[in-house]
Amino acid sequence: MFHIEDKVRHIVCPYCGCLCDDILVELTDGRISGVENACTLGAHKFLDDADNRLKGPIMRKGDQWVDISYEEAIAYAVQTLSEADRPLLYGWSGCVTETQAIGAHLAELIGGVVDSTTSVCHGPSILAIQEVGHPGCTLGQVKNRADTIIYWGSNPIEAHPRHLSRYTNYADAYFLHNAFRERKVIVFDVRKTATSEIASEFVQLEQGGDYHVLSALRAIVRGREDVVPDMVAGVPKSQLIRVAEMCKKAKFGALFFGVGVTMTGGKYKNIRNAIEFVDELNRHTKWTISPMRGHSNVYGSNEVFTWITGYPYAVDYARGIAFYNPGETTAVDILARKEADAALIMASDPGAHFPRTCCEHLAKIPTILFDPYPSATTHLCTVQIPCAVNGIDAAGTAYRMDGIPIRTRKFLETGYPTDTSLMHEIYEQIRERKEHV
Amino acid sequence: MQVTLTMKPRAKPFLPIEAEMINPMNFIGSQNLFVWEGNKKRRLEDIFTVRKEGNVNSPENIVVVLRGDTSRVKRVGEYMSSGTIIVEGDIGMHCGNFMRGGFIEIQGNADGWLGREMRGGSILCHGNAGDYCGSGYRGEKRGMRGGKIEVAGNAGDYLGEYLTGGEIHVHGNAGMFAGAEMRGGCLIIDGDARIPAANMAKGTCIIHGEIHEMLPTFEKIGEKDGMLVYHGDVANKGKGELIVKSKIT
Repeated sequence: MFHIEDKVRHIVCPYCGCLCDDILVELTDGRISGVENACTLGAHKFLDDADNRLKGPIMRKGDQWVDISYEEAIAYAVQTLSEADRPLLYGWSGCVTETQAIGAHLAELIGGVVDSTTSVCHGPSILAIQEVGHPGCTLGQVKNRADTIIYWGSNPIEAHPRHLSRYTNYADAYFLHNAFRERKVIVFDVRKTATSEIASEFVQLEQGGDYHVLSALRAIVRGREDVVPDMVAGVPKSQLIRVAEMCKKAKFGALFFGVGVTMTGGKYKNIRNAIEFVDELNRHTKWTISPMRGHSNVYGSNEVFTWITGYPYAVDYARGIAFYNPGETTAVDILARKEADAALIMASDPGAHFPRTCCEHLAKIPTILFDPYPSATTHLCTVQIPCAVNGIDAAGTAYRMDGIPIRTRKFLETGYPTDTSLMHEIYEQIRERKEHV
Repeated sequence: MQVTLTMKPRAKPFLPIEAEMINPMNFIGSQNLFVWEGNKKRRLEDIFTVRKEGNVNSPENIVVVLRGDTSRVKRVGEYMSSGTIIVEGDIGMHCGNFMRGGFIEIQGNADGWLGREMRGGSILCHGNAGDYCGSGYRGEKRGMRGGKIEVAGNAGDYLGEYLTGGEIHVHGNAGMFAGAEMRGGCLIIDGDARIPAANMAKGTCIIHGEIHEMLPTFEKIGEKDGMLVYHGDVANKGKGELIVKSKIT
């Protein structure tokens, strides 16, 4: 039998915030048959795509799923969202910025709340940045200059597998003679991880001790090690002094932090302390700090919402003007307090990640889910609308974890409509409806 | 004059109500008052049964009584400068925002951001207060700047964050990061606290109960009236004062 084989280069992986743009995809008879260069997580994003998608929109009727047309699904979304008193538009981090922009405008049109998955991952990082600023840089700078790298509360070998090889420890550097030998990696974590195995210094701290260790490090860098007790959150003072010296001796340091710091007790206070630690180190040498963003385009949602609404996530348009207050206008809080009376979930899976009370409330209210695949949220939603996948059969803009916009590529034709076109249709129909009232 | 506002039953009882116009001054005369229920603008009379008794001579003599399930009513007493508000049950978020004078009494519990950025007047909460009591708004460099908040029960996390002036007195326990980033004022906690006075720059934080997970960057100065006196936060050259009972866990 004759097979048509094809290889497509320079594909952008739509899985994590690294947005690796050197992926090679092999196609056999128009199906993805092989992936090169990608990590395991990214490769499975491509390889598991075929045969796993929903064929078309589905709606819950009683205790059964009924197939409906895209027109019926859109009509349902239009009616539900325009009649709601407190609609919640949540997700947005797996779709392209073009869709996110429509989402922000839709929130204004219907007086809803638009929130992205930021509120359950790096939202605290943004709160800290709003307090004390962000001494950051692009990953290219880190790759070419950094000789000391800290991973704090993040495990890139398992969560962002190519971060080390593309940007840090294993990458060639323009300004370092022998990058791999010259680079030092310091890992702060509560347990031994795959990343701590390759670290030149591993600092194992007690659960919830991040703030204490950062405060102690700041005091040591400031020359006030006399006040620091012998043990800080399970870390000996001698090790902290050694680490502080390593940091001060660096020519260019980069601190990367993950949700291990943002989602532990203290949340944004930990990040604020980390930023102020980097601030303190900048009196001695050059240091930068960057969050390890999870979803492919979660950074894009913050960019888009900021340029449209003025705020990066959790924007409440109930009174026609943008109001932002994480803790009050974030998706988890709105659902836990049972405020929302309709929800649109775009390209994310709160069913798998939200607290139980939030999921229970999502199951009670009309919930419209945009997702190509069945997910845990499918079990909670009223209508699920499958759409094209960003980076496979849809193209658009996504923001890498350091804020660099990258154009994703479309390399397959599947016939699914894009989420951008569906959201545009919903927006236009609601706008017409509002004009006629 | 006494104005009694009694909540009417609602079809969707969990929808938040934004009612910054519930401020004693606004009940002089007979202007139409509006509140927001979710994304819908409603007349005050649609949400509450309004009963006015007595005559008005000045805003100081107006007492506003809130009755019924007011736990979802936000921003009550915002920018209030005189008069009294008595909440017979629980109250929603942002009660007493930017308050400059007058008195708010909450007989039940208060939700988050009680007395946010208040400048004067006093708030008495008989129940528990939520998170961010007496703090600032997100990214704001100054929280409460004057006046007094007294909480008979417990307070949530980030109590008195960025406290810059005035006094907060909590009779029960406080959550995490009480008095974080304090810049002035006085924070008194009769119960326990976890990671208090983090990164404080100025002001006084007194804790009579137990301290859990005390920060390593406070310098012990001495003893005063059987209490230990620390200065800090050393991490940021802070000149604040943390006064604690001797037992630290």
